[in-house]
Amino acid sequence: MFDQIARYMNKLITDRSALAGKIAIAAQDDVLIVDGNPALTHLAGDILARLSCLGLVVAAPSLPFADFLVARASREESCIIPRDTETRTFLHDIPFLRREELGENAALDIARLLGSRKGVVVEGVGIVASGALTIEQAYINYSSIFHSTFVKYLQDLLHDGFLLPGEAEAFAGFRRDWLRPLSADGLSFRLGPLADPAVILDEIATVGRYTVERGLVDSFFGNISCRTGDVIYISQTAASLDALAGCIDPVPMDNSSTFGITASSELLAHRRIYEVSGAAVILHGHPKFAVVMSMECDETECTVKDCWKDCDRVRMLGDAPVVAGEIGAGGLAKRVPPVIAGPRRAVVYGHGVFTLGEKDFAEAFQAMVEVENWCREEYFRRVAERLTACRG
Amino acid sequence: MLRVDLTNRKSWYEDIPAELLHSYLGGRGLGVRLMREWYRLDPFDPAIPLIFAVGPLCGTPAPTAARLTVVSRSPLTGTIYDCSAGGRFAWRLKATGVDALMITGASATPVAIAVTPSGAEIVDVSRLRGKTVHETVSALFGRGSVAAIGPAGENGVLFANIMMGEGNSVGRGGLGAVMGAKGLKAVTVNGDRPVDIACRERFETARQDVMRLFRASPVIFGELGIAEYGTPALVDLMRQRRMAPTDNFRRTVFEESGNYSGPAIRRDFHAKKDGCYGCPIQCKKSTPSGEHLPEYETVSHFGGLNGNAGLAAIVKSNTLCNELGMDTISAAATLSAWGEARGRFLDGGEVQGLLADMAFRRGEGELLSLGSRRVAEALGRPGLSMSVKGLELPAYDPRGAYGMALAYCTSSRGGCHLRAYPISHEILRKPIATDRFSFSGKARIIAIAEDTNAAVDSLVACKFSFFGATLEEYAELLSATAGIDYSPQQLKEIGRRICLTERFYNCDNGFGVQDDILPERFFHESGSSGEGIEVPPVARMRFEEELQKYYRIRGLTPEGVFADPDFLLKQP
Repeated sequence: MFDQIARYMNKLITDRSALAGKIAIAAQDDVLIVDGNPALTHLAGDILARLSCLGLVVAAPSLPFADFLVARASREESCIIPRDTETRTFLHDIPFLRREELGENAALDIARLLGSRKGVVVEGVGIVASGALTIEQAYINYSSIFHSTFVKYLQDLLHDGFLLPGEAEAFAGFRRDWLRPLSADGLSFRLGPLADPAVILDEIATVGRYTVERGLVDSFFGNISCRTGDVIYISQTAASLDALAGCIDPVPMDNSSTFGITASSELLAHRRIYEVSGAAVILHGHPKFAVVMSMECDETECTVKDCWKDCDRVRMLGDAPVVAGEIGAGGLAKRVPPVIAGPRRAVVYGHGVFTLGEKDFAEAFQAMVEVENWCREEYFRRVAERLTACRG
Repeated sequence: MLRVDLTNRKSWYEDIPAELLHSYLGGRGLGVRLMREWYRLDPFDPAIPLIFAVGPLCGTPAPTAARLTVVSRSPLTGTIYDCSAGGRFAWRLKATGVDALMITGASATPVAIAVTPSGAEIVDVSRLRGKTVHETVSALFGRGSVAAIGPAGENGVLFANIMMGEGNSVGRGGLGAVMGAKGLKAVTVNGDRPVDIACRERFETARQDVMRLFRASPVIFGELGIAEYGTPALVDLMRQRRMAPTDNFRRTVFEESGNYSGPAIRRDFHAKKDGCYGCPIQCKKSTPSGEHLPEYETVSHFGGLNGNAGLAAIVKSNTLCNELGMDTISAAATLSAWGEARGRFLDGGEVQGLLADMAFRRGEGELLSLGSRRVAEALGRPGLSMSVKGLELPAYDPRGAYGMALAYCTSSRGGCHLRAYPISHEILRKPIATDRFSFSGKARIIAIAEDTNAAVDSLVACKFSFFGATLEEYAELLSATAGIDYSPQQLKEIGRRICLTERFYNCDNGFGVQDDILPERFFHESGSSGEGIEVPPVARMRFEEELQKYYRIRGLTPEGVFADPDFLLKQP
C-alpha cells in the first residue's frame, strides 16, 4: 500500500489541492500504515484506527477557503452545505470542527464526525477525508471537499463580500498566484474523424489527461466520449479522467448489449446529444468558475426551490446556455440535448460544462476553455462590481 | 415477537428487550441473535427455530426496505443461515405489530400459520400436501400475503426455498426444507397497522438523498442498468470480463451467452418491470402474463454452466424451480457437476424432467436433491462440486475477481456472492473501482463490506440500493424512523457483531480454516483467457496469505476460530 500512498500524495501536490509537506495518508490492511507530514501522520493513524475504513487523507488545502467558510459560519452552524451538484449528491453536507472545539483528543472528535460523513473540515488543520474501500476513495473525497469549498466560498464572496480580516489579501493572492491562465495552447489533438478503435481509445485517454493537467477538471469529475458509426466509446463511471487507459467502454447506440452498464452515469445524455447534434465527440467536466456562475440567477420572483432539478428556464453564460438537471437519470439527459446542438456548448446548473466537437476533441476542448475563461472573467468582473458598490 | 410452537399448537407473544433491537437492529441480526440458544441443533430437529424477522425500516417509505430475513440453520451447509426476501409479506407481517415470528416444533400433518393483528392461528392444510407454490398461494387467497413451500420443501430437498406469493424467494440454503420438516406448508400474514416515523422531515430529506443517488447510479437507473433489464444486465458484462462460469467452471466464456442477455430477454419475452412492494428500482422482470423471468445467476447457470443456449428452456427451468420451491443456483450447479461427472451436460428438456425428479426425490433426483457436494462425493469425484461449505458458487468465476474468491470463503453461509458482494467494486465500479486481479487490501475490504452488508441485511434493505446509496443515507432513515441517532460507523460495528456471532456459531459447530477454501479447480486450472484478458488460476499462496490477514483483522486464530470461548457471553 505504500505505493498507493505515494501515488495519491503526489496527486494532491500535482493537482495543487494540498500544500506539499502538509499531507498525511493512512491505510489499514491487517496493520496500520501511515506516511507523510510527521505531525499529521500521528493524527491520521489515530483517526483511522477508530474507523471501519481502509484509507484516510489529512491535508492542508492549498487555499484557505475552507477555513474561511468555517470562520464565516454563524456559531450555531456545524456543517458546510455545499452547492455544487456532485458534492450535494454524494457528500450531502460537510461537518466542521472549529479550533476551540478540538478537545485534547482531536482524533476522537474527528473520528466521531467521520463516523457519519466521508470528510470533515478541521479549522487550522485542513480537510480530513476517509475512503471506505481504497486510498483512492479517500483522495476523491478530499478532492470533492476541496472543490465544493472552493465553489461555495467564491459564490459566498460574490454575495457577501469580504467579512474577515485577511480575506481580501488571500483572495488577491489566490487570483495572482494560484490561478493560472487557461488555454489549449501547446496541446496536440488528433484530427478527426476518428474511426480506428485503438486510436479513439488512445485519444480519449490523452484528452482526459489534458483536462486534468490544464486544470479544467479535477481528477474524477467529468466524462468523455467519441462516437464512430453505431458505437459510443465513453469513459467508465468513477473513472479518473487522467487515467482512462482500460476504463473506456464501447457501447452500441441501439442498446443491443448491456456491456456499457459500467459506463459513465451520463451515457444517456451523451447518446441523446449525439442523436440531435451530429457531433463526433463530447467532453464534460466541472470547471470551477463555470459551476459558480451557473448558479448565479437574477430571477427574483421565482417559486422553484430545487434549482438543480426543477428549473425549466434556459439562461445564458456568454454564448453557453445554462439548464438544470441532476446527474444520470436526474433530468440532465433531457434538458441538455435540446440546447446544445447550436452553440455546441452548454452548462448544467451547479454541475459543469458539456462541449462538442464536430470531428475531434480540439474543438470540444477549446470550447470548454472558452466557457471557463468567460465565466472566470465574468466572475471577477462581478466581484469587482460588488466591492465597488460596497465601497460606494 | 410472536412465537408459535407447532408441536403443542400454541402461540404467544414475547417482548424482545430493547437492548437487543438496538444492538442487532432487526432482520438478519435479530434472527441470528435469537438463534443463540439453538444454533447447535440439527436443521431438521423439530426444536430448531425458523425465524421470520422484519427490519426497523419495514413499513416506512424507505426505498427498498420492505423486506424481511428468514433465519435458521442450513441443512445444505450446516452453517447458520439467513436469507432476505421482498414482496408484500414483510410489510404485512410488520403491520400485524410483529417484528419477529419464531416458529419451533413440528406438526405431524401439513399446517399453515395465519398471522393477523389478533395473533396466530394454526390451520390444517392437509389438502395442500404435494401442491406447487402457485397452487398453495391460490388456495390461501384472501389471507393476505403468503410464504409457502412446494414439493421440494416438503420432501426435504436440501436446497429447497421458501417462496413468497409474489414470486420472491428465500433461497440458497434450504430453509424450505427446514420449514417442510416442521410440517409447515405456508405462513400467511395480514396486518394493517401503520408504522410510526419519529421525524418525518428528516426522513424525507434522507429519502430524497437516496433517490438522488439512485438516479446518479448507472447500475441502478442507467439506461443499461438493472431497473431496465433486471440482473441479466450482467450477462454481457461477465462475458466481456471473461468470468462467466461455463461447463461447470471449466471455462469462463460462453460464446452463446448473448442468447440470454438482458436485451435478449426483453426482446423474446417482452419483459416488463416488476419487483418488490414499494421498491423504486423494480429490478425483477416478468412476461405480460405475469410469469417471472429469471435473474442473472439463474440464466447463467441454467445456460453457460450447463452448456445450454436456449432461452426458452432456461425460462421454463426457472419457472419450474419456482413452482417446486427449489433454489435455481444450487439446482443448476448440481446438474452441472453431475453432467461433468457423466461426461455430458443435459439438454433443456432433460433438465426439466430431472428438476421435477429432484423435487419429488425420485429416481436419479433422489441423489441430486442433496446438492452438488454430496452428489460429487457419492460419485467419487468430490472435486467436481463447485461449492464452498457445500453451497454452490453463483455465476461469478472467482478467477476473474480475487475479492470474490476470498469472500466466497469467508462468507458465513458458504459460497455466496451477497455477503461482502465485491462484484460491486471489482466489476461494477461502485462505490469505487478496485483491481479485480489483485489481492492487495482485499482482506480489509472484505471484512468492512461484510460488516456493512450485515447491517444492510438487518435494516433490512436491498443490496442493490448500495450501488448508489451508502450507510450514510440509511443511517439517516433509521435515525429519523426510530428517533434515536445511529451513525454509519455504529451500523458497521453492529454489522461486525453480527458477522462474528455467525462465525462463532459456525466455529462451535466445527467449521474452521479447512472450510474456508475454494474448490481445487480454481487453484490449478486457468479460465478462458483472450481478448487481452489473462485469466490464470488463483495463486494459492496469495489467497492463503490474504485469508490469514482476514483472520487477523477479525481477531481470529490462524485456524480461523475464536481464541476466546466466551465471546458470545460478552455480546449483548
